[in-house]
Amino acid sequence: MGGRGMVRRVVSGCAVALLMAGGAGAQQIDIKDQAGRDVKLDGPARRVVTIPMPMASGVIALDGGTGRLVGMNPLSLTAIREGILGKIFPAAAKITDSVTGTNFMPNVEALAAANPDLVIQWGGRGNDIVDPITNAGLNALLIQYGTEELTRQYMTMVATAIGRPERIGPLVEWRDRVEKEIETKTAKLPASDRPSVLYLGNALSSITASGDKGNYNAFYIDMVGARNASADLSGTVTINKEQIAQWNPDFILLNAFEPQLDVSWVYNDPILSLTKAAQNHRVYKVPLGGYRWDPPNQESPLSWMWLADLVHPELFDFDLRAEMKSAYETLYNYQLSDADIDGILWMDKQGSAAGYDRFKAK
Amino acid sequence: MIGLDNALIRFGSRTVIEELSFSVPVGRSLAILGPNGRGKTTALRAMLGFQPLDGGKRIAPAVVGYVPQAGSSNQRLRAVDVAVMGCAARIGLFGQPGPADLETARSALQRAGAARFAESFYDRLSGGERQLVLLARALATGSPALVLDEPAAALDLANQQRLLDLLDGLRQARDKAIVFTTHDPNHALAAADDALLLMSEGPALHGPVAETITPEHLERLYGVPMRLVELSSPGGAPHRAVLPAFAGARAA
Amino acid sequence: MTSDSTAAAETTTVRGLTRPVTIYGGLAALLLVSVLVSLCAGRFSVGPERALAILWQGVLHPGLVPSAIDERVVLLVRAPRVLLAAVAGAGLAVAGTGLQGVFRNPLVSPDILGISQGAAFGGALAITLGIWGLPLIGMVFLLGLVALVSVGFLARINGRTETVTVILAGLVVGSMFTALVSLLQFIADPESSLPAIVFWLMGSFSTATWQRVLIAAPGLLAGTALLWALRFRLNLLSLDEAEARSLGVRTERERWLVFAVVATIVGSQVAVSGIISWIGIVIPHAARLLVGHDHRVLLPSAVLLGAAFMVVIDTLARSASSAEIPLGVITALVGAPVFALLLRRHYRERKEQ
Repeated sequence: MGGRGMVRRVVSGCAVALLMAGGAGAQQIDIKDQAGRDVKLDGPARRVVTIPMPMASGVIALDGGTGRLVGMNPLSLTAIREGILGKIFPAAAKITDSVTGTNFMPNVEALAAANPDLVIQWGGRGNDIVDPITNAGLNALLIQYGTEELTRQYMTMVATAIGRPERIGPLVEWRDRVEKEIETKTAKLPASDRPSVLYLGNALSSITASGDKGNYNAFYIDMVGARNASADLSGTVTINKEQIAQWNPDFILLNAFEPQLDVSWVYNDPILSLTKAAQNHRVYKVPLGGYRWDPPNQESPLSWMWLADLVHPELFDFDLRAEMKSAYETLYNYQLSDADIDGILWMDKQGSAAGYDRFKAK
Repeated sequence: MIGLDNALIRFGSRTVIEELSFSVPVGRSLAILGPNGRGKTTALRAMLGFQPLDGGKRIAPAVVGYVPQAGSSNQRLRAVDVAVMGCAARIGLFGQPGPADLETARSALQRAGAARFAESFYDRLSGGERQLVLLARALATGSPALVLDEPAAALDLANQQRLLDLLDGLRQARDKAIVFTTHDPNHALAAADDALLLMSEGPALHGPVAETITPEHLERLYGVPMRLVELSSPGGAPHRAVLPAFAGARAA
Repeated sequence: MTSDSTAAAETTTVRGLTRPVTIYGGLAALLLVSVLVSLCAGRFSVGPERALAILWQGVLHPGLVPSAIDERVVLLVRAPRVLLAAVAGAGLAVAGTGLQGVFRNPLVSPDILGISQGAAFGGALAITLGIWGLPLIGMVFLLGLVALVSVGFLARINGRTETVTVILAGLVVGSMFTALVSLLQFIADPESSLPAIVFWLMGSFSTATWQRVLIAAPGLLAGTALLWALRFRLNLLSLDEAEARSLGVRTERERWLVFAVVATIVGSQVAVSGIISWIGIVIPHAARLLVGHDHRVLLPSAVLLGAAFMVVIDTLARSASSAEIPLGVITALVGAPVFALLLRRHYRERKEQ
């Protein structure tokens, strides 16, 4: 029986590993990571470096604090500084980001200086970014990007690695529940009922979009009952405004990675402002919560609900503000204020967008 | 008028040219002789203004008609385009050659005996033909001075004859100050009024060809015995030639 | 005058080379056709008649702001881009021609000599320091000139220099500036400066707007015009130092003039479209294969050919597929075979003679 059964299997599997380790002496933790490597830890990792961008906030959420995190990606740090997580955990903004470049290439010296007992890194992107870690004698846990399944698996692995397996169960269950809830309403939607959504990974220096394959954004665009406007691309490529005009998407989503980017970029452009999305005020910058809502992260179900409400208001009516308050309580033990929520949802810049009324405070 | 006044040129500690003075007025032709390395090229470059002097002065007009031994442009330019470059000084920095300039170029080609291949590509011409085009370029400058660097050196005998006839013709027109370097004294006999012998020891010898191109002086210059020979030519004045007696007196 | 040399002279007369006017006409026609086709081509479907009609209206009423999407695409996206590509292509071709003349070396070009890289560093530095607008252009130009000066200094162009020395000097200077840009990337703000710098390094006209045309056009057009005026002088500057000076050319001064002009052109081009390679080296060669070495004919030909080529390349880059294909990929794929054909034709001609 699908997700719930899988969740139970994963959690119990980790518990077994722990028990067995307990039987063998110190609480040794054995994990097979997503590159098929055996990762052995002498105990829960106490000093973790996260190179993939969403994982810094992921570890903080799973751990309930910043105590275990000793190094992160520069773009994780900017998200903390610009977003709510820096307010919830002020200490997080002081954690070093020199352990890696934004291209995921580890800086071995800085890494060694941070003295981690676990380094979380992307797998499936070549050995060049992994070898420096293993050559320095450090423990690497490789995770893979792309699908929801993979995301749940690696979040579970990380929770196990830091000795907080009890945290992951409710989170996975939540993701599963929301996914099911959305899918029951959208799985049967014909193509004609699916509006086109264009997500722009880059906008300001060059404009990029992505095809469907291995693309997490495409996954939830499809899940909420829409279709990826840029599906015919192979991988992430540069596109131009003419192409966007040709696609004429119903919705345009702007990335949360470029802080100077907001919806006025679309409305002020002579070409983009004539797209259906702009004409109908359906241009939205993806929110920045505990982490950016574009890629997979611990708050993903919130992003699915946000998009579902916007794309199919006739099918969905999630009370996003309530959901956010509840999620942040669970994830970070934090009470979101109305101002916090408005900030996360970019209410000041896109408050007048179509469908955003329902996200406003009552 | 072109020449040097008490010129001194040193390369490091080596003195190449010392107290060299000569001048060639318009209407005279000077041949500069000397063994290799004795300063022929240096003296030429000094006259042209490319070699800075450590002492003394250079006398020359603003633009000198220079005919290098080999032109640098191995390029697909027509001969007339090469010749019209001589008009550069008149055309100016941003100017283009006009009909008058092309006319000047064509008549220069005519005078240099190169008119028949004016439209040919320079890099397709033979060495001798190219030389004539370079001469035309030098003539096109309109400069009263004409300086040629070993003009006959790389030419076969027929072309040497042709070139020497040309030089002689230019000399007899008496409208230019002509200077050329050569390592063959016969060239001086054929086309020059005066000769400058750059001796290895002692001062240079300067004077009319009849006085300077003599076996004694040439032997001193080259270190090789020389013989003066008189040849009778059909229907004309006797021809004089200077021959190196490589095999000793026996060959002459 | 032997019969041999007469015969030889006859076979060396102009053969197989059509008169320059015909070449100009052909190239100009090529340019015009490329521009028109380019304006009608693109990812957004606009029929050719409609595109031309829109253009015509745009020309008649230049002040009118277009309102319909197809009008905007043609007049606000395609038109400035095509124009920028044409002018940049012409400028780079002419800059390459000028450099090859002054360095007496057919293997140099703005990017081989590190000028484009220097200019890119100027831009990257400006971006890192948060400088925009006219000062950014100034830095781009200045550092391009610094690169050129460095190469000239390293290769000592006053005397006879080896081909290899010049190219090596260019390599050294180019590599140094590339390394400096990498350094800047390392310290740049990962959210804004870094992507901007990365994009800067890749040549592209995708950011072309009328504003950018106005920024780049003066330098490109003025530079091209100046080199055009210097076309006869370039024949002279291509000569041996001694020969040139004997003809009254102030070689040092005039070379610097050409350098400054080249730096202006390259600076303007890099400022709006990043590093674009290939054009500066190959178009002059292709033009030479068509019209010979006389810069009076070569330069105008290079201008027309460079403009047409760049327009064609950029049209392919932006309309061949949904993704924008990087210019460098297409210049090599399209340019190399064309150039190879030209070379073969040239050597076949030589063999026949």
